[in-house]
Amino acid sequence: MNAQDIMFVILAVFIALSSIATVVAKSIVRAATYLFFVLIGTAGLYFLMGYTFLGSVQTMVYAGGIIVLYVFSIFLTSGQTEELSQTTKGKIFSGALLAVVGIAVFATVLWTHNWVGSVAVEALSKPSEDIISMETIGTQMLATDKGGFLLPFEVVSVLLLACIVAGLVIARKR
Amino acid sequence: MENQSYFGGLVSGVKSLCTGLGVTMKELFTKKVTERYPENRKTNVIPERFRGTLVMHHNEKNEHKCIGCGICAMQCPNGSINVVTEMVETEDGKKKKQLVRYEYDHGCCMYCMLCTRACPQDAIDFAPEYECSVFDRKALVKTLNLPGSKCAEKPKPARPAAPAKPAAPKTAPAAEADPAAEAAAPAAAPAADDKLAKLQAAYEKAKANAAAAKVAADEAAAAAAAAPEDEALKAAAEEAAAKAAKLATVAENFAKKLA
Amino acid sequence: MNEHIFDFSVVWHWLDELMLSVMPEWLTLTIECVLVALGIITLYAIFAMIMIYLERKVCAFMQCRLGPDRVGPWGLIQVICDVLKMLTKEIVSLRKTDRLLHGLAPFLVITASMLTFSCLPWNKGAQILDFNVGVFFFLAAGSIGVVGILLAGWSANNKYSMIGAMRAGAQIISYELSIGMVMLTMICLAGTMSFSEICQQQADGGWFIFRGHILSVIAFVIYLIAGNAECNRGPFDLPESESELTAGYHTEYSGMDFGYYYLAEYMNLFICAGIASTIFLGGWAPFVIPGLDGFNEIMAMIPGCIWFLGKVFFVIMLLLWERWTFPRLRIDQILTLEWKYLVPMTMVLLVLMALCVSFGLTF
Repeated sequence: MNAQDIMFVILAVFIALSSIATVVAKSIVRAATYLFFVLIGTAGLYFLMGYTFLGSVQTMVYAGGIIVLYVFSIFLTSGQTEELSQTTKGKIFSGALLAVVGIAVFATVLWTHNWVGSVAVEALSKPSEDIISMETIGTQMLATDKGGFLLPFEVVSVLLLACIVAGLVIARKR
Repeated sequence: MENQSYFGGLVSGVKSLCTGLGVTMKELFTKKVTERYPENRKTNVIPERFRGTLVMHHNEKNEHKCIGCGICAMQCPNGSINVVTEMVETEDGKKKKQLVRYEYDHGCCMYCMLCTRACPQDAIDFAPEYECSVFDRKALVKTLNLPGSKCAEKPKPARPAAPAKPAAPKTAPAAEADPAAEAAAPAAAPAADDKLAKLQAAYEKAKANAAAAKVAADEAAAAAAAAPEDEALKAAAEEAAAKAAKLATVAENFAKKLA
Repeated sequence: MNEHIFDFSVVWHWLDELMLSVMPEWLTLTIECVLVALGIITLYAIFAMIMIYLERKVCAFMQCRLGPDRVGPWGLIQVICDVLKMLTKEIVSLRKTDRLLHGLAPFLVITASMLTFSCLPWNKGAQILDFNVGVFFFLAAGSIGVVGILLAGWSANNKYSMIGAMRAGAQIISYELSIGMVMLTMICLAGTMSFSEICQQQADGGWFIFRGHILSVIAFVIYLIAGNAECNRGPFDLPESESELTAGYHTEYSGMDFGYYYLAEYMNLFICAGIASTIFLGGWAPFVIPGLDGFNEIMAMIPGCIWFLGKVFFVIMLLLWERWTFPRLRIDQILTLEWKYLVPMTMVLLVLMALCVSFGLTF
């Protein structure tokens, strides 16, 4: 067990505990906070693997963006002592069903995945720039050839435009 | 601002912001106004008009000018002044109010200065005293008249009054506020006091005796005649004489009416 | 001229090898991590104290006052006394609050601040975190702090805290945009996101504020404005405007919990200045004039960390100047300034910079 493994175990336990806490938390703001820790832990995993770009994106978009959005919307919609609503039988059933389906999908992926020995360890031995550089990401993002991401990139911008227009429409309506 | 265009507003905004930045940058290098208090208590200059505490001025003969009328106590919105008086009989058999204790509660004074404005004798004044903190609230209640002090006597009739009324208010408080200055200008202060006292005396005399008032008027006229060559002082003395004469006539009429 | 600048990584490598030769890898790593953490915390505390003193003095001088001068010569010990006071004060726990989140929030804020603090390039080879996406990581780590602020406002169960937190959230998220755009502009000029490389480039070819000429200067000014807003400092300090919200999102905090916010505020100012001096003024790169070799030699003799600190304090002075000159804005004015003025300007700036770089119009 080297230092990377130890760090992985620490992060994994952290993520798992935070995930459970997210689900069982009574207060919705607390749930959001635990979710924040889950996302930070995930970013930690990326950093551990040397994917600093992905780790930064994870931190910025999810921890710094999505969670702030969640917290903001909680603030704007609920009062201070607002707790999650009572669990009914229907809720328990649908929750259990979702959990089972999720576990099944996850297990299938794990089972059918073709594990290739110690890729991660090899990657870690190299400097992080060699794994994936900013230039690679940038060119790939705007490439039109096979494996290029220009089309999804542009489609996302259309989605954002739609969001802006929708926001304007809602704001203008009186 | 509303009628400015986007870029016009931007430019004018940047300009005004730069003005502000210039002001603070200049301020950064100007001399600082902070007073380091305990170190500079010897050299610290408090403005003359600062209202620190109420004082009653006494001259070198331990005489004050308070006649115990109590107008100040009536004027005080907070009731921080208490004038204790007694009636005494003067040698000519008249009853007269006399000040016993002038109590001033500094703790509830709000420094409005209504008392000093109302005082007909200019007996009280605010001094720029600022180290007023004490450990006990009782210590804030002060007796302003000094022990053994009494109201300033009527002036001797023969004594010439040199400086006149207009000059007096200006020189007197300043001179009395600072003992050193008083020592430096021994002539000015008592003379002014005498003048005031004389006027007061003339008035009181007139109330009692019109003839005496006439004497006082003559006296004042004599003083005007005897005044130094200084044109202004002479004019002032003449004015004072005229006033005294007027007072005398008023008193005479009053006395006639009384009779 | 670069051979004069001492490369600190030599020292770290030597230390690393020395420790590896006497102990196993995991122990070495742990000890190194602990040492680095101690280093960060020490530097953080020291610079926070310097910053607090500087702020109080500069503020006083700009207002024609003297500032603290009672405790110690020129009031130098004042800050130490304040820190001791803060450390010994009672931490009040409030009823009807979410105590877990209330206790957690300051740590999120200070963690974000420390993470960004470790991105600063102190000298050649003396940088705690140096990624190939350093600038991006810096922005990402900075965005964690917003969560802490929002949680602080919510968990206190106090309307002032809540309003303060909402304002802070809206303001920080908005101004992050123009900060990011300004940084993109400079990255466009540098062609790299790693702080060490950005510094190295400026050491080789001159500071970016000169190389990007007028565009860089405008970007620098916008950065100063947005940076002050990002740190919740005046004239953008209305998340904690004392006249309406007592203290904003940290109203209910006492003792060292409040101290963390206080520290984080000042250190965010330091970090903001540090990043400005890195991406505009060359970080540890000395000031050189092409052609004047003698002058350049002398400049290169000065150690890099002195250069860095000098630039940081220069930028801090600019930020303080801005902070103590302008009156506080209203929330709508703040958002107008950002969305109607700074964001369009930075967008235009980014395009212009990209054009300049591609046509070789920069130095």
